[in-house]
Amino acid sequence: MNVESLSERGARARRDEEVDVAIVGAGPSGSVAALHLARAGLSVVVLEQGEWPEYNDYTGARPEHELVSTKLWHPNPNVRDNPNDYPVDTSTTDINPLMFAGVGGSATLYGAQWMHFLPSDFRVRSLDGVAEDWPFSYEDLLPYQLEIEREVGVSGLAGDPAFPPRGPYPFPALPIGSVGLRGALGMERMGWHWWPGSNAIPSEKFGELNACVRRGTCLTGCPEGAKSTTDRSHWPLALKAGARLVTRARVKEVETNDQGLATGVVYVDANGRDRRQRAKVVILCANGVGTPRLLLMSGGAKHPDGLANSSGMVGKRLMMHPFASILASYEDPLDSWRGPFGQQVYSLEFYETDERRGFVRGSKWNCMPSGGPVGVSGATGSKVYVAEEGRFQDFWGANLHENVARRFGHSLIWGIVGEDLPEESNQVVLSKDLVDSDGLPAPQIVYKVNENSNRLLRFNIDRCLESVRAAGAIETLVSTPVRESGWHLIGTTVMGDDPKRSVVDQWGACHDVPNLYIMDASTFPTSGATNPTATIMAVALRNTRRMIAERRNQKVA
Amino acid sequence: MSKDKTFLGLADFLIPAHGEMPAFGSVCSFADAEKALDFRVDLKEGFERGLDADPALSAEAHLEKLNKEDGAAFTAVTTIAICTYYMNPRVRELLGYPGQESVQYDSKATQIYLTDGSLGHVLARGRKYRPTPGL
Repeated sequence: MNVESLSERGARARRDEEVDVAIVGAGPSGSVAALHLARAGLSVVVLEQGEWPEYNDYTGARPEHELVSTKLWHPNPNVRDNPNDYPVDTSTTDINPLMFAGVGGSATLYGAQWMHFLPSDFRVRSLDGVAEDWPFSYEDLLPYQLEIEREVGVSGLAGDPAFPPRGPYPFPALPIGSVGLRGALGMERMGWHWWPGSNAIPSEKFGELNACVRRGTCLTGCPEGAKSTTDRSHWPLALKAGARLVTRARVKEVETNDQGLATGVVYVDANGRDRRQRAKVVILCANGVGTPRLLLMSGGAKHPDGLANSSGMVGKRLMMHPFASILASYEDPLDSWRGPFGQQVYSLEFYETDERRGFVRGSKWNCMPSGGPVGVSGATGSKVYVAEEGRFQDFWGANLHENVARRFGHSLIWGIVGEDLPEESNQVVLSKDLVDSDGLPAPQIVYKVNENSNRLLRFNIDRCLESVRAAGAIETLVSTPVRESGWHLIGTTVMGDDPKRSVVDQWGACHDVPNLYIMDASTFPTSGATNPTATIMAVALRNTRRMIAERRNQKVA
Repeated sequence: MSKDKTFLGLADFLIPAHGEMPAFGSVCSFADAEKALDFRVDLKEGFERGLDADPALSAEAHLEKLNKEDGAAFTAVTTIAICTYYMNPRVRELLGYPGQESVQYDSKATQIYLTDGSLGHVLARGRKYRPTPGL
């Protein structure tokens, strides 16, 4: 029996059945919560608006890959146009939010770059005088980080001096290839930090995950079943432990009683019918856009500004990590279609604050291959390197052949992730006119890249150009800020001790609704500059453990 | 002019012969483009519009007009042209592109950065992080 058929057994709760926990979203955080709650003996139902991934639909191993993936597996739901996703009003944002609805969540289309936040990320107020400290520290979270790494099957090399000492990764680091070696060469010539990439991709077979074969299509779904997503890492175990998973279930409201406690959720099923799932505890794991959207849609007349929003902070402080990329071409062949795609090496040289640079906080760089000929041509598809005012002839005719000859197989890309500082003006609101396929209001993103981010990106781009040229680059192309780069959706239901200034406490419990929890990156007070999935899953595990330990003291309806 | 001739005219302007690389029409047919279009039904409408050309216009002038007046049609025609071309086995052979291939490796092999001293230099440069205050 496969995982999907196991999941179909009695997934939906009986009519009027009250479960211990209803979880909204089967992505990284929801999957962690489901597995550990089910193992602790709690009855768990997870409602996921998307479906199980169909690995045969991942085209990475087929000739049509570049043609198909730019639509079917595009990370922007507005481009993908899949009815399981909700559309997003992006008319008022500098950066488009990227996400995917399905078992495994948006990680289905992530690069699997596996990075912890650093100690300073939890203490930005204390160290740099900006934003807020987290209610817990790097050291508090580290045991959960290491436990999650074992569940996920991370490959990497311990000993990076950019982090406090830690134990070994579960699997050896993936080969860094010619791309990674060239990226490292540039950093070495500058005397700067670099380290072999850590990735949520096992280099050896691990449970339901196959060993990586460097197919290089991580960002558009791994046809090898090697990239770690929770449909493979967590759900087989969660289902065996008794968790139930309902797919194509779009939650439209969290319900509460007269005492202000959550009583369950209402969702639209695959047939378009409203259903109610009663629960003693509700956990939202719908990402930094979906979670505030759901709270803003909930609450009814008693809470016209949305549920759990007495602070007025639901939806505010959206952080998306402004991103720049530098494509560098070299004379030497780099086999730059080979994976892993996410990061073959990374650098934290400019991660920490140096106020002489004219901005606070810093960046993380990741070196990745540049991919197939269509992508590097710049002629169509992502348009990452095409100036709006550019003439089309610049990318076609003899120019096409020359661009492809210079870049294809000979180039690498450095991605620069900049820390995004929280600002209340950057937010998720409900669209007044755009709706999803069930008629529910779509989220609207109101977001401006701030001056600190602009300065940060400019500084890092200039440094990156120095590095790639030091390694012999013959051509460089810069894109900043990349509009299609809102992978990391952070901060929109901030955690904190003060109910007047935050939505949840340090354990993810809503101040206003004590049996309603949030366990995705919405709760992060600050964004760090590393890829957040490792921290999202570790925080979810920490919260879940606390919930299990305190289950007898949990206030319920 | 028939659609296939119109498309091949546009595709040959977009992707002419150059050095070792053949022109679109030397290695790909309109049928190849139609097969590619079957993978992207979302482009079909724009593709059809894109081939509705004024015979008095040159390929370049028609593409210029499309680019200015009907971006969706321009995107459809150019996307199908370039993807059909780079899916072609002969073109891939000339480029040295085997596709997104599977590469076997020994996960336990000692990596070169451990033996050539480069990672040692990183370690020698010392700690980078700022510790948690008060610890």
